[in-house]
Amino acid sequence: MAKDLARYARRQRKNGVILGLSMAATGVGLFFLGAILYALLTEGLAAIRPSLFTQMTPAPGSDGGLLNAIYGSAIMTLVGTVVGTPIGILVGTYIAEYSRNNRLGQAIQFINDVLLSAPSIIVGLFVYQLMVVPMGHFSGWAGSTTLAILVIPVVTRTTVDMLVLVPNALREAAAALGTPKWKITVSVCYRAARQGMLTGIMLAVARISGETAPLLFTVLSNQFWSTDMSHSIANLPVVISNFALSPYPDWQRLAWGGALLITVTILILNITARTLASLGGAKQ
Amino acid sequence: MQTNPSPVGPSRPSLTTTPIVPPSDPVAAGKLVEKIQIKDLRFYYKKFEALKTINLSLADKKVTAFIGPSGCGKSTLLRVLNRMYALYPEQRAEGEVLVDGANILDPKIDLNLLRAKIGMVFQKPTPFPMSIFDNIAFGINLYEDLPRAELEDRVEQALRRAALWTEVKDKLKQSGLGLSGGQQQRLCIARAIAVKPEILLLDEPCSALDPISTQKIEELISELKTDYCIVIVTHSMQQAARSSDYTAFMYLGELIEFNDTETVFTNPHNKRTEDYITGRFG
Repeated sequence: MAKDLARYARRQRKNGVILGLSMAATGVGLFFLGAILYALLTEGLAAIRPSLFTQMTPAPGSDGGLLNAIYGSAIMTLVGTVVGTPIGILVGTYIAEYSRNNRLGQAIQFINDVLLSAPSIIVGLFVYQLMVVPMGHFSGWAGSTTLAILVIPVVTRTTVDMLVLVPNALREAAAALGTPKWKITVSVCYRAARQGMLTGIMLAVARISGETAPLLFTVLSNQFWSTDMSHSIANLPVVISNFALSPYPDWQRLAWGGALLITVTILILNITARTLASLGGAKQ
Repeated sequence: MQTNPSPVGPSRPSLTTTPIVPPSDPVAAGKLVEKIQIKDLRFYYKKFEALKTINLSLADKKVTAFIGPSGCGKSTLLRVLNRMYALYPEQRAEGEVLVDGANILDPKIDLNLLRAKIGMVFQKPTPFPMSIFDNIAFGINLYEDLPRAELEDRVEQALRRAALWTEVKDKLKQSGLGLSGGQQQRLCIARAIAVKPEILLLDEPCSALDPISTQKIEELISELKTDYCIVIVTHSMQQAARSSDYTAFMYLGELIEFNDTETVFTNPHNKRTEDYITGRFG
């Protein structure tokens, strides 16, 4: 009995140590998250004024806002997501539902994982070669293409992960009713995996809405209002990076405002998506 | 294979060639319609031979139970009958399985149409992640284009037959996942019979359920057999004895004994059957 208690005490000590380490790690993570949010809020809130949403990026020393950059970012993120998401879902579906255990599927998944961790600047350079050089100038389309390429591996990966989690019993149950394979995937597997897949899309949107490096190579930026996707167009990340590094306090303030804006937008998108998913989804 | 089959199949040859039960029971043999005939069926998982030359006939409007210890091939045999194994490329069957005289192992058979005619209920309840109504309507909508009122009627009928209607009639729009295990299983049975199949395959349908749910489902089985050819795989010998008309005892991939349930349980011809049903192994 004494021996048993000694083992028990040792296990409890081990548990205590690991639990302590886990909590410390969580604390470190939360501290930096809190610090970033604190800096963003204190510096950024000062910049949030109506003019931020109604005026264009100003010349140094004069008053202005970020309207052109907000519009440019919104439209490029939208196009990038709309183009990249279906491709990612289709690739993920192919890997998970049609070639899960064969070499082709594994090869595609491996390549996708490489693309997932590829530095975004490389993707920017690739699109620079592919579109900017032949066209002779930067453009919103080139930027959207870059963002779409960044969306694909994120959505592919989460789609595969979520579809693999759908139990085979569900596929068999649908097949037993005489359901064609495509219909099983669309009506049963997608439904079961919906929340996770939506989270993947949100992750992708969050990732591309902050990307700066690839946009430097593809859209650059624009001081003025422009909706012409075939030319340079203003966008938040590049404006933030330009303004933050500038010596002008007005520009620095706008950069903080832009950074806060991106963060809040992503937060709202995430909350909305999750609410929609749980509203439309199965009430457990 | 039609989607909306008439009660009498297109052709039923060889009714007289293979007796459905051993010749010792000629009275029964004369009255029955053989819905499924299994001839020299062998089944392989990769190279492993899971079924060794099975010959068996299953009667229409009767319940046939497959019993035997774990790994004896009873579920495998059931999954041949709607070719569920075809979902997995490393599994294959040889021989013949005739349903209404047509060989369903023929590679040219359309599996979706075949499965629409042969319903299946699994060991674990598998409600789809959608509302109770949609769970039932899903299968109906696959092959029939019904006006809304008629569809609602069909869903109600199916739920009534599965003895679930009174429990769910006020929450048809809620998720099927919110039901209890026993209710989920009855939902799956309702889903299977809503498409009006001719054959119902039940793969240990009560093994995850409590005794009360089990009793409800057994009552349901005996009620449903007036319309269907029912095949049930079960681990519970009491269940086989209670709810089946015929029992097949399998062991290590072989069909050891097949007879009417009473004979199998009271006067088994084979020593291994006797050992199994008296609890000496398995």
